[in-house]
Amino acid sequence: MIFVRPPGPVSPALTRRAPCWAAPLLVAVLGGCSSEARQLGPTAPQTRPISNADPRIPAYQANVYQVAQGGRYFGWYGCGGCHAEGATGVLNLGDTQWKHGDGFADLFTAIADRHGRLAYDRRVPVEVLWQLTAFVRDLPAHKAEKRMRTARDQKAEPQGATWSGPQ
Amino acid sequence: MKRLLRVSLLCVFVSGCGGIQSPLAPAGDQAAALHGLLLLMVAVCGVIYLLVLGGLAWSLWRRRPAAAGDNEPSDAALGRGLGVTAGVIVAGLTVLIVGSFLADRALFATRAQPAMEVRVTGHQWWWRIEYRDAAGRWIETANELHLPLGRTTRVLLGSADVIHSFWVPNVAGKIDMIPGRRNLLDLTPRRAGWYRGQCAEFCGAQHAHMALDVKVEDATTFDSWLAEQGRPAAAPAGPRAAQGAAVFAGPCGICHAVRGTPAAGRAGPDLTHLASRRSIAAGTLPMSRGGLQGWIAQPQALKPGTSMPAVPLRPADADALSSYLTTLR
Ligand code: HEC
Ligand code: HEC
Ligand SMILES: [Cu+2]
Repeated sequence: MIFVRPPGPVSPALTRRAPCWAAPLLVAVLGGCSSEARQLGPTAPQTRPISNADPRIPAYQANVYQVAQGGRYFGWYGCGGCHAEGATGVLNLGDTQWKHGDGFADLFTAIADRHGRLAYDRRVPVEVLWQLTAFVRDLPAHKAEKRMRTARDQKAEPQGATWSGPQ
Repeated sequence: MKRLLRVSLLCVFVSGCGGIQSPLAPAGDQAAALHGLLLLMVAVCGVIYLLVLGGLAWSLWRRRPAAAGDNEPSDAALGRGLGVTAGVIVAGLTVLIVGSFLADRALFATRAQPAMEVRVTGHQWWWRIEYRDAAGRWIETANELHLPLGRTTRVLLGSADVIHSFWVPNVAGKIDMIPGRRNLLDLTPRRAGWYRGQCAEFCGAQHAHMALDVKVEDATTFDSWLAEQGRPAAAPAGPRAAQGAAVFAGPCGICHAVRGTPAAGRAGPDLTHLASRRSIAAGTLPMSRGGLQGWIAQPQALKPGTSMPAVPLRPADADALSSYLTTLR
């Protein structure tokens, strides 16, 4: 027995137009994608930020991916050795007290030039310093819950001499 | 034209059957067990397929007995046919279950025996490899796994970031590498040669550039290779290499270790015997002086998204650095 669909109009359910709120919803959902846009390809030649209003800052500070890379390098370069959870005074990067100013260029300079013999200006590539600065400026916004989750995520990541990954 | 198309299509399919990255050319006990299971499954399913088609042809061909009144006519041949079908299904499933049970036993046959241990840790996007030598010391290398012929190696699989999957199809089946967990895989290779593995679980932008070179070699060659890997790097020979070593200590030593020098970073691959490997950055480039120089100058152009940053260097320093790296044999 072969069933043949009787001729006639297509059921209205199949032709119904998408509701009017679908397009704005789609835009809102996809809009989130750009907040972690990645720049794939060769590293652009990088220089230090020229001021706290350098036009390149939003590409790092407002990009979740760049901030997260900064977090990863924060562990790899051993920053946590001195600026760990629970550090006090100037070493605490989670409070909103910045000794030398809270602008992007101020903190960039604090990391690159104010670490004495660690000489991060020479040993850390400029683009990584941009990412580290974006991450450090993001830190005061991390609530306890987020810090705990990050710590757990990065538990297995290599941390300089204090490697705690799979043994 | 059409014929040419057909032949080339066939070539594409059949070319996957041999070679250095194929489960159809087993080079180890575990892969052979899985290969046997695969052949059994193809055979059983092939027989079932032919029987189904035969049954279909028979049902089209034969005449249905005429109905007597309102009752469904009794059909002795159909009853027999159904009985045979049920019997064949049960028999086929039984053969497959027994085959799968035996293959499983073969995969784990070596579990209770002592075996050489190797830790393989997945990173975005490379492999950290550590051997435990006879003295109990861990010897680290990366992206190239050597295995002794005919001996069982126990691979301890872990991950440092996201889920990866370890799969060297010629040698064994695949197992996931899960953060916070340890998975075990025993490998007993039986055929010497180079093979290729590839991360088999999507793990980010450069998942496709996360390959693993695998070399199976006879036990004595393996032992001398391992002893060589365990040695610290030789002191740089000549002023250029020495200049390169000095450059390396600054920005590179934070992430990379070269044993025997102050460079002891653990974020990236161990480079102590870098130049003895076949490829750079998990199969992204073949190993060569030019490849190294290109990789150092623009890792983001060759493997976009990798966590190795481009380190700005003066051309003379970059040149000295790459010539130093080629001495790390
Ligand atoms: C050896 C310990 C040590 C390490 C490692 C270290 N720091 Fe610091 N850091 C300090 C000290 C001490 C100061 C205070 C400097 C000053 O008073 O000028 C400081 C200051 C800072 C400041 C400025 C804080 C403020 O209140 O203005 C930032 C930002 C910072 N560090 C980031 C980093 C980053 C990022 C890293 C890793 C790349 C790092 N530090 C590694 C010791 C360390
Ligand atoms: C921030 C950490 C970091 C720094 C700094 C760094 N690297 Fe790397 N390097 C990595 C990582 C991570 C990888 C693995 C990349 C991949 O395969 O995706 C890598 C891979 C490599 C490889 C390929 C290794 C292999 O086994 O194939 C070489 C060679 C290398 N780096 C050399 C250098 C040199 C030379 C410098 C200094 C100019 C340097 N690296 C600086 C993190 C770093
Ligand atoms: Cu992977």
